Amino acid sequence: MIVVEELSVSYGAVQALREVSFRAETGVITAVLGANGAGKTTLLRTISGLKEPAKGTITLDEHSLARQKPENIARLGVGHVPEGRGVISEFTVEENLRLGAMMAKVNLSDGLEEQYQRFPVLGERRKQHAAKLSGGERQMLAMARALIAQPSVLLLDEPSLGLAPQVTAQLMHTIRDLCASKGLTVILVEQNASTALRIADHAVILYLGRVVANDAASIIVADEDLRQHYLGKVE
Amino acid sequence: MKWLVAERRRSLSAALIVVAVVITSLLAPNPRDRVALGVAIVVAIVGVATLTIRGFRETHPVFARATLTVVALDVALFATYFFSSITNFNLAIGAAMSIVLLGLSFLTGASGQISLGNSAFMGVGALAVAIWANHHASTPMVVTLLIAVACGAFVGLLLGLPATRLRGPYLAGMTLAFAVAFTAIVNSFTSWTGGDAGLQLPTAVTPPQWLSSFFNAQTSLLRVNTMWLADITIVVTGVAFFFMANLFASRTGRAMRLVRDNEVAAELVGVSLPRARVIAFMVSSAYAALGGALWTLINNSVSPPTFSLALSITILSLVVIGGIGTISGALIGGVIYAYSTNVISWFTQHTGINSQGNLASQLPGIVFGGLLILTMLFAPMGIAGAVRRVWARRRVRMTP
Amino acid sequence: MDAFLTSRIISDILGGLTNGVIYGLVALSLVLVWRSTGILNFAQGAMPMIATYLGMVVFAHRLGYWPLVAISIVAGFGVGGVTERVLVRHLYGKPEINPIVVMVGFLIVLEGVAAAIWSTTPRGIPNPFSPIDWQLGGKPIALSPFSVYEIVTALVVMSGVAVLFRFTKLGLQLRASALAPEVSRLLGVRVSRMLTLGWILSTGVGTICTVLVASNFFTGLTPQVMDGIFAFGFIAAAVGGLDSPVGAIVAGVSMGIVLQFVGDFVNSNAIIITALIILIVSLMVRPNGLFTKSTARRV
Repeated sequence: MIVVEELSVSYGAVQALREVSFRAETGVITAVLGANGAGKTTLLRTISGLKEPAKGTITLDEHSLARQKPENIARLGVGHVPEGRGVISEFTVEENLRLGAMMAKVNLSDGLEEQYQRFPVLGERRKQHAAKLSGGERQMLAMARALIAQPSVLLLDEPSLGLAPQVTAQLMHTIRDLCASKGLTVILVEQNASTALRIADHAVILYLGRVVANDAASIIVADEDLRQHYLGKVE
Repeated sequence: MKWLVAERRRSLSAALIVVAVVITSLLAPNPRDRVALGVAIVVAIVGVATLTIRGFRETHPVFARATLTVVALDVALFATYFFSSITNFNLAIGAAMSIVLLGLSFLTGASGQISLGNSAFMGVGALAVAIWANHHASTPMVVTLLIAVACGAFVGLLLGLPATRLRGPYLAGMTLAFAVAFTAIVNSFTSWTGGDAGLQLPTAVTPPQWLSSFFNAQTSLLRVNTMWLADITIVVTGVAFFFMANLFASRTGRAMRLVRDNEVAAELVGVSLPRARVIAFMVSSAYAALGGALWTLINNSVSPPTFSLALSITILSLVVIGGIGTISGALIGGVIYAYSTNVISWFTQHTGINSQGNLASQLPGIVFGGLLILTMLFAPMGIAGAVRRVWARRRVRMTP
Repeated sequence: MDAFLTSRIISDILGGLTNGVIYGLVALSLVLVWRSTGILNFAQGAMPMIATYLGMVVFAHRLGYWPLVAISIVAGFGVGGVTERVLVRHLYGKPEINPIVVMVGFLIVLEGVAAAIWSTTPRGIPNPFSPIDWQLGGKPIALSPFSVYEIVTALVVMSGVAVLFRFTKLGLQLRASALAPEVSRLLGVRVSRMLTLGWILSTGVGTICTVLVASNFFTGLTPQVMDGIFAFGFIAAAVGGLDSPVGAIVAGVSMGIVLQFVGDFVNSNAIIITALIILIVSLMVRPNGLFTKSTARRV
């Protein structure tokens, strides 16, 4: 479980997050929604340590995360799949996975096998450079690379960005499955609210760096006002 | 009376001139001195008065720069009259060096590139003067200097061609290789260059008759000659600085600063990156060649091994310590260079370091290197930048 | 066969190979630092020089050759690591010229300090390998026990680096840190340590190279022993591509051979001039090096 309390972050004079508080429960998908510039990516970057908060705390179970180095946070079991995927295109598929497996407690070949089973296409292209993969394949590789480390928390930044609807649906399905089968804590950042709300259990809406709604996904879906105000149209 | 108050500046200048002329006529020993002194003072006062006219620098920038140059030259030339031969020699060497520094400062400050080959470009100019003078002894000095500048610019173009596509570290490395190769190049054309031994000028540069006649019989020839050399160098330096100041402010100069700060933006507004880079590199080489050429005149000979990588590194240090991309920084660097030997030997004397020992001989390198690192880490804009910052801060404090 | 092995062409190739592996090692050490931290280290000759003095000279009276070599290498690791932590760390993310200027300053400080302590007189380093060329039928082949020692050592170091980068977890982390520092940190790679390690490795490789150069009977150790070699090493690295370890080695070795021919058939002055021309031409044809895959540098 991740608990964020009173978190404020700024870039110079610009305040990106203002006293944000919410919890992401274990085994639950928490969607973080909001328009462009609402502070969603900043929130994930702060949780994983890439950005230092000005104020506030982040706790993962009993560990305090705020102001820790990203590599130490990763070693505590937080897997962050950054926006734009962040696969290393000069590396082969397998090298990307090997890098992800660095801190894993399981044996490397077992880990690889597991990911190739989950994403067969990666197995077929294991010797190819990541630069040659399609957008969807890169997203799978990024996910696989995070999963191979056996994380307890998964931070997903816009996984559906630039993907065909079918691929997105498949991806969301995979996320849902993973969360249920592994008891992961998932924080899913999405601009595409309808996609996210379809699989999320819980949702937090950010507006200009503030939390304007923090409730069960079903309640947010039902709240016409909220949706029209902050999320645009949700089918 | 009213008129005097309204035209305060003019009346003040006039009063100053009258006072100065009276004092000189009382002090100066003979009529010629009185005339010389009088002219120097009048030029200085008129120049300063012009420069302090409100708004003059903004409305007539080129004319203002020219005036500033004339005033600075006037004061400097006047000063050489009183200096000892050694001081004048150091001054000349330092002034010539400041031209080299200005060239590198322009390259680095205006285009963000760096050259470790400027000692070799100095060598090109230095040799060009000596070779030309040995074949055509009668060429006027100005022409010889221009030939040296042209040679520097041409070699700069040759080396600068790949630079059009290069970024910082590659260019720095390539120019380093040029500095290392310079001795080998010189030794490949021994019949022209004289190899490591170098060349002598066929005739020393001597002052014209009218200047020599200023001095009485007791004044040594050496003193008159070094003074003349210092004067020539100072005038050339003044002209070089004047041109550079205008170049900094010109369209080309602005385009180059844009290249340094943001390549993409520069291309978007239509600056040709390759051209801007090559021009900056050529200007820097031409200036280095001019400085080297003056060194040959001052020393009356050229010794190619002087123009080593070590000298290039010294040049870089001086530019950085003085202040990259500033005109005043180049002057500061030149002064530091002229007197660094004195300061360091003073330091060794007073700290009891064995002046014949290894440490004493290595001290200049260690000090320059150390200052280079410290400046870059803690005051990347050098002395000129630091002074400017203090200035700006005071101004802010003074205007509430 | 004997006449062939002692012929001028084979002599030049063998002699060039001996120089070439040295250029290749310097180029490799430059590439290691460039790849990990994006800095062209102008003190890449001077840092190993200091390490070699520390190792080979300070304890020279008490220990034999091999222990001294080991001490030098350890000193090299130390010099590299300390330099990165104390000096280079402040230069990341600064304008391109700042690290160049600082490392040039460091170069002359190190050379000055070394000359102040140990003087500029060359120091011979006694070693078990004879510098005298082997003979075949009364004629020398351009190969001595010492040059074989040089070539073999260089090849071992080069393959060691290759194995480290290709096949080990550490190498994977080193490469990842260089290519994508932020992503690597998200995967738990201690990037800051990897950068230090890059400098440690690079100075280590440089030190082995410097020990080889200094052990050469005909050069010995001086504070400026690496200046000229640095220039050739840089040219090799630039021609091969600063991003490419393989390119650096190949360019270094082939340059050594080409320049040996130039020195033999033209004269010794032509060597560095030819190298300069090779550099200029290759930079005009392929500004990012012959062996670099990407054609344009990212802005």
